[in-house]
Amino acid sequence: MKHLQLGEFEEIVLLTVGVLHGNAYGVTIKDEIEQRLNREVTIGALQITLRRLESKGFLKSNLGESTESRRGRPKLFFEITAYGKKALDYSKESRDQLWKALPKLVLKLK
Amino acid sequence: MQRVEPPRFILRFLKWFCKPEYHADIEGDLLEYYDRRVADLGRTQANLRLCKDVLLLFRPGIIRSATIHQPLTHNGMIKSYFIMGWRNLWKSKLYSTLNVLGLTFGMVCFLLIGLYVYDELNFDTQHSQGERIYRVITHEKNSSNEATTVAAAGYMLAEESKHAIPEVAQTTRMQRVGRANLVDPENPVNVQETITVANEHFFQVFDFPFIEGDRRTALKEPYSIVVTEDLAMRIFGTKDVMNRNLQFNHMTNPVKITGILKSHPKNSSFTFTSVLSESTRYANEGFLREAESDWASTDYTVYTLLQPDANPDSVSRKMTQLVYANASLEPGTKLSYSLQPLKDVHLKSEGITDGGRNSNVDSIPQGNPVYITVFFFTAIFVLLIAGINYTNLTTARASSRLKEIGVRKAIGAVRGNLVRQFLVESMITTVIAFLVAVLIVSFLLPAFNNFVNKNFSIFTSVGLRFWAAAIGLIIAIGLLSGGYAAMLLSRFNPVSLLKGLKLKSRNDFSIRKALVVVQFTISTVMIIGTIVLFMQVRFLNNSNLGFDKDLMVVIDVNVVKARSNFEWVKNEMSKVGTVQHVSVSSHVPGEWKTLVRAKLKKEGSPGDFQIAYAIAADKDFLNTYDIQLLSGRNFRNANDSSAILINEAAAKILGITDVSGDIVEIPQIARGSSFGPLYDDVNTSFKPRVVGIVKDFHFQSLRAKIEPLIIAYHDNPIYPIDYFSVKIQPQNIQATLDKLKSIMVANDEREPFEYHFLDDQLARFYIEDQRSQTILGWVALASVVIACLGLFGLATYAAEQRLKEIGMRKVLGANLFSIMALLSKDFVKLVLIACCFAFPIAWLGANKWLQEYAYHIDIDWWIFALAGVIATGIALLTVSYQAIKAAIVNPVKILRSE
Repeated sequence: MKHLQLGEFEEIVLLTVGVLHGNAYGVTIKDEIEQRLNREVTIGALQITLRRLESKGFLKSNLGESTESRRGRPKLFFEITAYGKKALDYSKESRDQLWKALPKLVLKLK
Repeated sequence: MQRVEPPRFILRFLKWFCKPEYHADIEGDLLEYYDRRVADLGRTQANLRLCKDVLLLFRPGIIRSATIHQPLTHNGMIKSYFIMGWRNLWKSKLYSTLNVLGLTFGMVCFLLIGLYVYDELNFDTQHSQGERIYRVITHEKNSSNEATTVAAAGYMLAEESKHAIPEVAQTTRMQRVGRANLVDPENPVNVQETITVANEHFFQVFDFPFIEGDRRTALKEPYSIVVTEDLAMRIFGTKDVMNRNLQFNHMTNPVKITGILKSHPKNSSFTFTSVLSESTRYANEGFLREAESDWASTDYTVYTLLQPDANPDSVSRKMTQLVYANASLEPGTKLSYSLQPLKDVHLKSEGITDGGRNSNVDSIPQGNPVYITVFFFTAIFVLLIAGINYTNLTTARASSRLKEIGVRKAIGAVRGNLVRQFLVESMITTVIAFLVAVLIVSFLLPAFNNFVNKNFSIFTSVGLRFWAAAIGLIIAIGLLSGGYAAMLLSRFNPVSLLKGLKLKSRNDFSIRKALVVVQFTISTVMIIGTIVLFMQVRFLNNSNLGFDKDLMVVIDVNVVKARSNFEWVKNEMSKVGTVQHVSVSSHVPGEWKTLVRAKLKKEGSPGDFQIAYAIAADKDFLNTYDIQLLSGRNFRNANDSSAILINEAAAKILGITDVSGDIVEIPQIARGSSFGPLYDDVNTSFKPRVVGIVKDFHFQSLRAKIEPLIIAYHDNPIYPIDYFSVKIQPQNIQATLDKLKSIMVANDEREPFEYHFLDDQLARFYIEDQRSQTILGWVALASVVIACLGLFGLATYAAEQRLKEIGMRKVLGANLFSIMALLSKDFVKLVLIACCFAFPIAWLGANKWLQEYAYHIDIDWWIFALAGVIATGIALLTVSYQAIKAAIVNPVKILRSE
């Protein structure tokens, strides 16, 4: 199922949105990824990915409140859709399948 | 704690490129980070990181598409501007009417004058190669250092320069050799026509449109003639005249029509009605040989067509070299040539004699560049005055619209919206005014055409460029005049507007005052200009010319027998009861053709030759024209053929104080621009005896000083007789003319009977001035009216503003007069200041113009006083209507409310 395929960064973002459950907006998502995975994320890359996932239907967004440091600009909260969940499942399943098929011998080679 | 703000330009950059629907939350995220980074890393680092983040956001997917955003709202606003503009116009009908009227007046003047100026500036632009056509001008200096500048050159210069000079693509020669009767041999009606001769390339250089015929071959064969359609209509009554024959009365063979041209447009320097092929004359071997040795004469008008990008200066230098290499010039004579662009022929030929023509052919009519400049500026000024009006009225009325502006701003209009709204309002006014103006112009056009002797029709005659320019200028006026008001009115702070605070408008008011001063300065200058012109034209027409010009019929001698048999004609004419005197002469005072000049000096005196004009006349000349004889005697009989009369000016240069039979030597005369020996033998002179001195009279226009003049007897070697002058009585003029005609025709049946009334002919010297006076008069009137419309509006406004003050003053005992003075004083002051500016400007301008005339009025102080009184008076009248209205209002009514 091609249209359920996810890119690596897309998968990470989608998973992080899930992890943050209800508190996922630009700043928290970026922080979360950077902390957990110890990798640098630029806002540009993150925003583009978020929008793309949204346009594919894996995420949905709604405007939230603002804070003082945002000078009146609203937060945009993201949430995984059922379709997005399906994509994650598909992604996991396909990896698991591959993992299972992997001969034990290969894993021992380090 | 003071919050650190990020650099604005970065966020603005983000806003500029980011998709609007993404922008708000992304900016929020950035700001959140920014604050955090300022706390952790300090401001500089935070700024840097922000920059980096924004730059990394600049990528497809986030950058918005380039289409104009919010197109729908924009259209909606434009619609609203129009609705509001329209309503505002309707709401204040008085001011709208004043505005539209002022602009309409201005535009009517502008369009009419613009048509005229445009036409004058576009003379001779009908030719597709016109940019490359030049007229050859000869500058000659003879051995006694007399310089002449003639628009003519020799035969061979035209013939050879196209071979010898590579930049010359083609040349053509033209001559206006004289006037003759041109008739249909089957149905002869004698009418004099100018004979124009040109060589076969004439129609290849110029593209006069052919109705029929081949432009390449029409003038090739001898005895070919090309006629214009109106000549064809006049002679044959039909335009279908190809290959028919015509007969000139001086030629034995008939000529064949090989082409029919469209009639010339009014803005053409070429007025010929027919062109005869040059080969007609040069079929004769002898003539041709003579012409082929002619390098340096000024017998032909030569036009050259240069290659594209050729430099006319270098071409004319090569022409000079070419002539020097081939011509045999008299020792001491210096020649040089220059090329005059075709488009300059009409307006920039001052000081250039029109050559290549017989002296009995009228020269090419010239335009007057001074008047064109003056008209151009008056047209612009009138439009300017009208524009100023609009600005003044609109800014003055700002206060009545302050609330409106305040509310608009409060509910979210930004300055741009208000500016646009005011501009749309001014554009609506301008467009209405323009439409009305075009309507009025189309009504006035027939009268105007008649008056300036042109043939405009509103849309066809001037083409798209004129209208594009006019509409462009009018839009500019609309924008400019609305622009200032728009900028000013949209600047105010909405809070103070809605609180009802008075505006501090001192600055704005002084600008308005300055504009009123400008308006009245222009108007006053125009008033003075009109008065001066009027006085000068009246002076020209009424001043004593030193001879009698009234009821003088001047009949041209056009057939040989009228000259040879003149005694009989004179005798017959003087038998007519209503004829007082008859005289014959070579020229008449106020001559419209070229006067002959003679070189002369008193016999035996040392000194150089002087130059005097020469007229030939009979013994009745002085009587007929009532010219006063100061000393000596008049001509008596045929023995006087070697006697001359001279005028005072000539007496002065010759050093003759009283008549004692001095002999005068006349070796050379000039019928056109250059002098030549009088007799075939160069060394002999005409040596007449001075028998009388006559009082100076103005034989030329009053532009020129009275020059020395000699009057020779009708039978003389200088010039034959050319006119009958008949002084008639005022009764039954038409019957007298008929009798004169029958005498002339009885003398020779081919007589065309061409006559003029001398006073009409003299008035033509000044017809341009008269025309300008009328135009300037109307424009001055319009400018005053427009300025007054503006003043009326301002006075209305001032009175409204000061109603309360007036009420208080009345309650405290002010009388009507003091209140009127209070309101009028400000405006009268402005007009007086305007006069201070206008007087010197007008004085300088008028003086410069009057210098053109040797005889002119003095500019008296009363002209200025009159103009000042007119300007002030009209201004006062305008203002006082409002002042009186304000002054007689019952103060209770004004003061009751508040």
